[in-house]
Amino acid sequence: MEDFINIENVSFSYSADDENIAAPEYVLKDISMKIKKGEFVALLGHNGCGKSTLARLLNAMSLPNKGKIYINGVDTSQTSSVFDIRKTVGLVLQNPDNQLVASIVEEDVAFGPENLGIEPSEIRKRVDDALKAVDMYDYRAHAPFKLSGGQKQRVAIAGIIAMQPQCLVLDEPTAMLDPKGRDEVMSTVKKLNRENGITIVLITHYMDEAVQADRVIVMDDGKVLISGRPREVFSQVELLKRHRLDVPQATELMYRLKGRGFSCDEMPLNSDECIRQLEKMLKRNN
Amino acid sequence: MNIIETEDLSFVYGQGTPFEKKANDRLNIQIKEGEFVGIIGHTGSGKSTLVQMLNGLIKPTSGVVRLCGKDIWEAPKEIRSIRFKVGLVFQYPEYQLFEETVEKDIAYGPGNMGLDEEEIRRRVLSAASFAGLRQELLNKSPFDLSGGEKRRAAIAGVIAMDPDVLILDEPTAGLDPAGRDVLLAQISQYHKKRKNTVLLVSHSMEDIARTADRILVMNKGRAAMLDDRKNVFSRGDELEKMGLRVPQITRIMSQLKKMGYNVPSGVLTVEQAANELHSLLGKGIFDE
Repeated sequence: MEDFINIENVSFSYSADDENIAAPEYVLKDISMKIKKGEFVALLGHNGCGKSTLARLLNAMSLPNKGKIYINGVDTSQTSSVFDIRKTVGLVLQNPDNQLVASIVEEDVAFGPENLGIEPSEIRKRVDDALKAVDMYDYRAHAPFKLSGGQKQRVAIAGIIAMQPQCLVLDEPTAMLDPKGRDEVMSTVKKLNRENGITIVLITHYMDEAVQADRVIVMDDGKVLISGRPREVFSQVELLKRHRLDVPQATELMYRLKGRGFSCDEMPLNSDECIRQLEKMLKRNN
Repeated sequence: MNIIETEDLSFVYGQGTPFEKKANDRLNIQIKEGEFVGIIGHTGSGKSTLVQMLNGLIKPTSGVVRLCGKDIWEAPKEIRSIRFKVGLVFQYPEYQLFEETVEKDIAYGPGNMGLDEEEIRRRVLSAASFAGLRQELLNKSPFDLSGGEKRRAAIAGVIAMDPDVLILDEPTAGLDPAGRDVLLAQISQYHKKRKNTVLLVSHSMEDIARTADRILVMNKGRAAMLDDRKNVFSRGDELEKMGLRVPQITRIMSQLKKMGYNVPSGVLTVEQAANELHSLLGKGIFDE
């Protein structure tokens, strides 16, 4: 797989251009990472570690002060390519209410492609396809404000999908949702990744969502702390806790049992894995 | 004694319009003085409408809210005093900070109660400490604080009114795991020391399982359950149908129980689960 996102030694400060500030505080500090085409990456880190800033840079909403970001080989700091980059990388935010603009679901989803100057017949097709992809086609004539949180967030995602991006960056898309809404958004994200091959960068504080990614990148103080498959990352329970993070309860339970002298084959990441491990251990001990 | 009591409490949005929606439908709930009650429910289940009626911010379409046995709308002109007794911390309260300094912001509520300077100062300091806000932050502008600190400053502003009932609507949304743990611990400690009534609205079943004594489950505007947390989280299948879940640890343990292992139902914390499994697994290598 080729690198789709290439972040090379990027530093960023919100006050770098302010002449009154002698030593601007950097939010991103010489950070580098590569994300492959079609990869599903979860980005973790405590509040203020620079995750959301990085999300803005991926979409060319802000530009690096030092270093370069290449999206599909294109430098985000080239002013002529800003439009292309925003079409390639779609950004989904935390609060669905701030992302919906129209009073009918399908009109809302059409807003993006309309602004791209796409032909009406093509817009129609894209809107239908996008709503089907997020499983909201039956609601196309509804008013967004009457939908549940999970449904609204899926409409917001459809609005981005209709612009046919190759990558979705989601900044805590489930923080305001109830458990069912959270499941709905997560299965939509996974489906878009698996079936449509869309590269996913998911920023979240929910560890049970992060374990579903191909790779987990943990950020700390504007840099990458660790990066690896979920099982590698979540096995490092103490390290994560030291950096204000957590592990799923299934993992935490096994970690505590290990601390009491019981051994398991591998660290579980979800309840099914945990139950299987416990069953094995119980059979072995009795 | 019941500090809060509702009788057939209902609220209808857009009454008489085509968009009419029953947000709360004949709620009859009783909350005892000093309880810590968690409120859960799907989006649109009526949680926020309910808490806004409990502090007199919106008036019921029908039915009654009683605070210490007295209808809060008996004298509509005195409804402001209810808001001092029932403090409400909204979702994302950090967006409501507005004063020049953190201290002035926290002092705004008690200032409106007509207290003297000395008493206000005392309350600001005590509220800041309850909310875990370092004293040197008090002279800063609220806009120079971090997200977590802003959230705590906003919560301190409500605590400073010294309400008999403190209601928090999604206080941990958007906080990182450590920030969430610290804030929940502070709220629990405040509840323990101040011995007042706390209502906590949350979408996080794990947060509710760790803090609340009893849980109110809202579903489509009705109160579906109001019971001890253990009993509520033992009814996982029903919660699932209402768009809710049980904590992951509770699910793991109840699955083991279904498979015939001798574990209790309604296990709520990882610590408790580890203890149960420890005795079931027999001796670990450290026990010999």
